Amino acid sequence: MLKSVPVAAKKPKLAFFSFTCCEGCQLMVLNCEEEFPGIIELVDIVNFREAMSLRSDDYDIAFVEGSISKKEEIKKLRAIRKNAKIVVALGACSSTGGLNCLKNRFPMEEVKKAVYGKDARHKPMDTIPARPIDSIVRVDHYIHGCPVTKEEFLSTLKAFLLGKTPDVPNHPVCVDCKMAGNICVFEKGLSCVGPVTRAGCKAVCVTYGCICWGCRGPVDDPNMNAHGETLERYGLTADGILKSFDLYGGYRIYKTGRPAGHDGPPAVLDGRKRHA
Amino acid sequence: MDFISKKDFRSLVEGLIKEYTLYGPIKKDGSPAFGRIDGFGQLKLSSTPSHISAKGFLFPPKETLLRFDIEKGSAEGVVTAEDQAIIGLNSCDVHAINLLDRVFAYGTPDANYLARRKKTLIIGTECLPDEYCFCDSIGTMTVEEGFDVFLHKLRGGFIARTGSKRGRSLIKKYASARKATKEEIAGLKGLAEKKKKLFKTTLDAEASSLPLIYAGADLSPVWDRIGAICYGCGSCNNVCPTCYCFDVKDDVTMDLKKAERVRVWDACTLEDFAKVSGGYNFRKTRADQLRHRFNRKFRYLADRFKGLFCVGCGRCSRTCLVRINIAEVTNEIVRESKKR
Repeated sequence: MLKSVPVAAKKPKLAFFSFTCCEGCQLMVLNCEEEFPGIIELVDIVNFREAMSLRSDDYDIAFVEGSISKKEEIKKLRAIRKNAKIVVALGACSSTGGLNCLKNRFPMEEVKKAVYGKDARHKPMDTIPARPIDSIVRVDHYIHGCPVTKEEFLSTLKAFLLGKTPDVPNHPVCVDCKMAGNICVFEKGLSCVGPVTRAGCKAVCVTYGCICWGCRGPVDDPNMNAHGETLERYGLTADGILKSFDLYGGYRIYKTGRPAGHDGPPAVLDGRKRHA
Repeated sequence: MDFISKKDFRSLVEGLIKEYTLYGPIKKDGSPAFGRIDGFGQLKLSSTPSHISAKGFLFPPKETLLRFDIEKGSAEGVVTAEDQAIIGLNSCDVHAINLLDRVFAYGTPDANYLARRKKTLIIGTECLPDEYCFCDSIGTMTVEEGFDVFLHKLRGGFIARTGSKRGRSLIKKYASARKATKEEIAGLKGLAEKKKKLFKTTLDAEASSLPLIYAGADLSPVWDRIGAICYGCGSCNNVCPTCYCFDVKDDVTMDLKKAERVRVWDACTLEDFAKVSGGYNFRKTRADQLRHRFNRKFRYLADRFKGLFCVGCGRCSRTCLVRINIAEVTNEIVRESKKR
């Protein structure tokens, strides 16, 4: 048994950054009220806009939430990578591109006009197709979910402090569903993307009567071909199948024309071309 | 064998609720499942198997094994078991529990499972096959041991077989039972004969010959075929009443001074199951993983524990979204073995 805790002699410095997102993942971190007294014994938080006014460029671990959807965000993200020893993608937008990538199926000019109306032509409104942070910089670790769970954020932080590799679930949501005792969504006459989606969420959506939307992105080796066939067998059309992967898997679809792991012919949603 | 009336059955269930934490068949989202029973009205005896087996009441999806203090270097074992009763287990489920009893007593006895098992009362009930059941082919359609009481539905009530002292005293306490008549016992046999005719799924080989047939099937093309469509979602393992593999993890407190060692269900069809230090995976493909699972059910464990580890409940076939059917796969392997 360990006689002492192998914690770094110097307190590691933590920073939180936010790009295009709802900031719900930072909020989940702020929800760790009970744990914060313990956390600040072990680390220094030097950058956390949602919680404090202090700003510093001297940090060890950067937690980055949000996807990249503006040119200036690319520059900022590169600076974060330069400053930090460890970069952690915090939540769906940051790790897979998230919901923001839904806009990638439209021309950017059209998107701008739809959101900002006549102000769209101003420069601050510049917009590029949304993308995950690992399309721009190297990412050391991912915390998945929309939003992330408090438990996974804490277990990741503890793993860093103990010098362990953080435990990222690599099994489909079906496992969490069975452990929760849920009746399969497909048995109820609905469909979901749980069989190809990374778990770790305790299948909360299905447990509370919803379906799995795939917010954690695909597992490392998803059998998308099989899932496409399953969805078809359960009555979905090709368009419906792609849409069910599109909500959170949009970035991969936009880049490759098909969801991760799918080696069928590139599909075009709604007959619309995807815009780079 | 005793006959108990419907009224007696109700007082039996209400007695169980008073004395034990009772689990039994309920309807969940329109499907048969197991859940906590707090009132007689919640109990929905199902004629067909629950989608997820009841093993979780004896072998929970997640449980604490150990609490330790990292600074002091001390540790204490954690065994939690309370008096519980499970009603509505079918004969396949009772067979499965008998197998788990052997597994968890083998080698170093598993304190957690065995403590919980000792405090668990088992009340079985007769069932009817659904489209996936094939217990008749496995030889688990009837059960002679492992239960405290086993109930067979008959007009006006139940025939109760008792399998333990606890079971006998339970019937005595809550039911004004009378001895079953010869006609009633004969009726029971007649029902079993009728039940045999209801199976839509059957195996094309004697159950006892399956270990040997599987031993010759390592190179069968069936593994690549089902491996190609498998998600690796672990559902077949997790709904199975005899799958008992688990992973062990440490949950450390935020001050990094104390921790809990927990075990969680694991499944041999998951990608990371056979991954070891350094990232090497000695069963990397889905074909290999499925071959392993089928062999565990029909061959490896059968050799070690003298009994097939498939009880024919068909739950894995039902749960599989890509329709890998355990009976169909087995029949395919049986067909291939005849060609050799």
